[in-house]
Amino acid sequence: MIYPLLLTAFVISTCGLVYELIAGTIASYLLGDSVTQFSTVIGVYLFSMGVGSYLSRFVVKNVIATFIRVELLVGLVGGISASLLFLLFEHVENFRILLYSLVSIIGILIGLEVPLLMRILQDKLEFKDLVSQVFTFDYVGALLASLLFPLVLVPYLGLVRVSFLFGLFNVLVAFWSIRLFKNELKSSTFLNTMAVVLVLALTGGFAFSEKIMTVAETSTFPDPIIFSTSTPYQRIVITGNGKDIRLFLNGNLQFSTRDEYRYHEALVHPGMAALPQASDILVLGGGDGMAVRELLKYPQVKSIQLVDLDQKMTQLFTEQEILTRINKNSLKDTRVKVLNGDAFVWLRKNDRKFDFIVVDFPDPSNFSLGKLYSDTFYKTLKKSLKPNGLVVIQSTSPYFAKNSYWCVVNTLKASGFYTTPYHAYVPAFGDWGYVIGSQTPFCPGKNYAPALTYLSPESFNAMLEFPKDMLPTKTAVNRLNNQELVHLFEAEWSEYEAH
Amino acid sequence: MRPISRADFLKGLGGLAVLGLGFQFLRVRPAQFRVSMVGPSRQVGHRLRDLMKDGAASLSSFVDCGSKTVVIVGGGMAGLSAGWWLKKNGFQDFLILELEPQVGGNSSFGENAVSKFPWGAHYVPLANRESKYVRQLFLELGIIEADHDKEKPRYNELYLCHDPQERLLKDGSFQEGLVPKRGLKPAEEDEMKRFFDRVHELRETRGSDGKPAFAIPLDLSSEDACFRNLDKISFARWLKENNFVTRPLQWYVNYCCRDDYGATAENVSAWAGLHYFAGRRGHAVNAETNSVVTWPEGNGFLVSRLREMLADKIVTNAPVLRLIEDKEGGNLCYFTSDGAVSRYKAKFAIFCAPRFLAPYLVENYKLEKKPTYAPWLVANITLKKVPGGRGVGLAWDNVSYYGDSLGYVVANHQNITTRQSRVVVTYYLPLSQLPPDAARRKLLNSPEKAWSAAIVEDLETMHPGITADIISIDLWPWGHGMISPGVDYIWQERRQLPLNQGAVHFAHSDMSGISNFEEAQYQGVQAAERVLAQLEKS
Repeated sequence: MIYPLLLTAFVISTCGLVYELIAGTIASYLLGDSVTQFSTVIGVYLFSMGVGSYLSRFVVKNVIATFIRVELLVGLVGGISASLLFLLFEHVENFRILLYSLVSIIGILIGLEVPLLMRILQDKLEFKDLVSQVFTFDYVGALLASLLFPLVLVPYLGLVRVSFLFGLFNVLVAFWSIRLFKNELKSSTFLNTMAVVLVLALTGGFAFSEKIMTVAETSTFPDPIIFSTSTPYQRIVITGNGKDIRLFLNGNLQFSTRDEYRYHEALVHPGMAALPQASDILVLGGGDGMAVRELLKYPQVKSIQLVDLDQKMTQLFTEQEILTRINKNSLKDTRVKVLNGDAFVWLRKNDRKFDFIVVDFPDPSNFSLGKLYSDTFYKTLKKSLKPNGLVVIQSTSPYFAKNSYWCVVNTLKASGFYTTPYHAYVPAFGDWGYVIGSQTPFCPGKNYAPALTYLSPESFNAMLEFPKDMLPTKTAVNRLNNQELVHLFEAEWSEYEAH
Repeated sequence: MRPISRADFLKGLGGLAVLGLGFQFLRVRPAQFRVSMVGPSRQVGHRLRDLMKDGAASLSSFVDCGSKTVVIVGGGMAGLSAGWWLKKNGFQDFLILELEPQVGGNSSFGENAVSKFPWGAHYVPLANRESKYVRQLFLELGIIEADHDKEKPRYNELYLCHDPQERLLKDGSFQEGLVPKRGLKPAEEDEMKRFFDRVHELRETRGSDGKPAFAIPLDLSSEDACFRNLDKISFARWLKENNFVTRPLQWYVNYCCRDDYGATAENVSAWAGLHYFAGRRGHAVNAETNSVVTWPEGNGFLVSRLREMLADKIVTNAPVLRLIEDKEGGNLCYFTSDGAVSRYKAKFAIFCAPRFLAPYLVENYKLEKKPTYAPWLVANITLKKVPGGRGVGLAWDNVSYYGDSLGYVVANHQNITTRQSRVVVTYYLPLSQLPPDAARRKLLNSPEKAWSAAIVEDLETMHPGITADIISIDLWPWGHGMISPGVDYIWQERRQLPLNQGAVHFAHSDMSGISNFEEAQYQGVQAAERVLAQLEKS
């Protein structure tokens, strides 16, 4: 009986260390700063083991049954620990309380195990052999766990599965112990039943861990997901709660139907109101068809060319009924031509000239997007513009990313445009910035389309005013060879994301 | 019950070890990618050698192609530049004969479904003011947009290397730039600063003759002995004498020598070594001083543009067999094409192949001492996705502080698309650890699998797990990759190489001692000038 019990010591120490590593890793993933997370998790865990060891003295009767119960409990708590941490991350007020409670519970249980095991073995071995052998297996198990965890377990199974798997090992040890001690135990029915239930539950968790991760991911969206897909360029998620439909690209909110009219009216109408003759329009980006919807409100528009990278995106907004209801079937209009391709590449080959160009790209959050905000891009853009034509550019928030916003304005100016910066308040985004580029000084127009919800000549005048905390800053020109804007943007938004 | 015996315990440990190894085998799956060795055409070389074995006998029957005033032998950067200069000066009666199926030489390039990519030279630094021919060509090609004759020209920003330009893997994560910055001791930092102060001072220094201490092309450098004597000692010795001894600086300096000369600081002269740091003074109104111009296909971009300009003058797959002086002092140029021998009678030949080939091809040419050429291996690796890594993200040039290679350059870096897709990276390995002859033998005799394994091992240290993302590896061995500017080469030995033998004029970067676009172009233009001057006389 000694071998099996020492093997038990080996398995429980491996499991114990794996739970500790899982907690440390998840805390690093979710909270960052891995040094702090690992230090505190290890500290709390070891301290709790001490507490467990202390508590073991209060177990006087039924040592074996208690040992098996503890074993089952470790299996349960450890097994579900990873899923629990991932699933509850978004929902608990203070994640650290959850984390350290979990680590403490596991630590106390593991701390109970070894003293109990030694007491079970005390009559069967001499004291010096007992101590030497139990701890040898205990520490060898720790080494195995610490090597397997980063090299094999995490890369091949993932955290959630590892957690279930080792929970399963703990329960199997309990199961085995029940059989070993069936003579010593008064009744094993309850323990056996518990063990079987736990084996089934943990195996189920192991098998469905993908599902669990998906649930954990979707819980980052406030509303139910009604559609999601991955394209070669981005992950598209659409959520809805009956009143409000939201589009997320790579987890970033693109619009909310509650207030997207504000964003798109502000993007399109100030330019169009100044261009009563505008017949040929180009839209770069904007595959959701919202900007096109606004443009189609002007009878003088004869053709709209839309160039968007992602075919899936334009297809969705042409075909899905729930989405075409929002853009009023704008992409199906006979005046609209949709082309899927790279805006910069397309522009360099284009020889058509347009009256109005709407540039509605994602924010410059990476180097390839940063190229679409460069002076080279704007100079290329200029070649596709008629002499009296206008461009308008969505240019991130002058409140959250003040330097980034003025860098876009500055770059447009350096590319030979007169610039007219303005901003609007879009509740879902905050204060949002745009800039009109023109080849002669821009005069605001009065020819707004009828029945707008948000914009009027008066409200546009107000948008031209920048309050003191958004005033122009001195920034460099964003060039392909300095990517100034991406650097500014990263620095400014990371400040907000840290909170 | 008995306690566990030591034997049992050891058995148990053994079992665990076996278990661990088993996991290891599960982990390492055999690599599933294609490896192939491409150019330069060894078959052509061998065919050439076989033809030459027969000696003059094989030249006795030939197709007479008539006469040309000038025949340019070799369509590398020197040959193309010679042609460019002749044509620019209104001279049309010339031909460029190229052995390979494509012109380009060291600036050759390839293309696959993902991207174009370089097989050798892949960038040009901003041109110095004295680099007139470079600026002239850049203006013609739209690389310089304005002010090509001013201190700070305006460059086409599509061609300037996009940000981020460089990153270095050191101490577990990538840092920006190639100069080691992470984890330096104060003494190392001080030395680094002292070194850059010194070379920046040299960069602005002019000799008593008013010429820059280090110029590009190097022929325009000051003749003062205080500079030229630097050619008489090795760069390693200069560093030691000036007390530049700390490891990060030594690493950086050696990296630069291997990058530009394919040799370590031990094996290049101090003049050459310092030229790398103090020679580049190019400015641009719209870029920083250390910027470069580059393209997905590297300097293959320049080759393509020159090829377009000279389309009607280029004959490819036409290895020259022999240049023989005829009775009138002109040249008989024999070459093969489609297996048959053809001949041009030419008044002048411009020989733009490396000089070590001249004894085989130019009749009666004696080479006193064969210059030293550094062997290189270049690999183009197609990857399923952008390689990750801790620290700053993917740059154009990505280097590891550990390992013998120079790291890799991302061919797609200059793309203006927002698609995140497959990438081609060009991996450079100068074989500078062995003496050149031994390295060349190794280069030509090692199987391609051995090379790909070494490359994968190196890349794995930069990006653990990258093996799974490799689609293919194509290798290009350069036996005589570039001239090595060893001690006394630049200011002694290369000046003893004759500029011409009769009507055969020579042009190659080995006549400068530094293998780069600027020097090759300069030598090509100089040879064309000499020929034009002779033509004017007659």
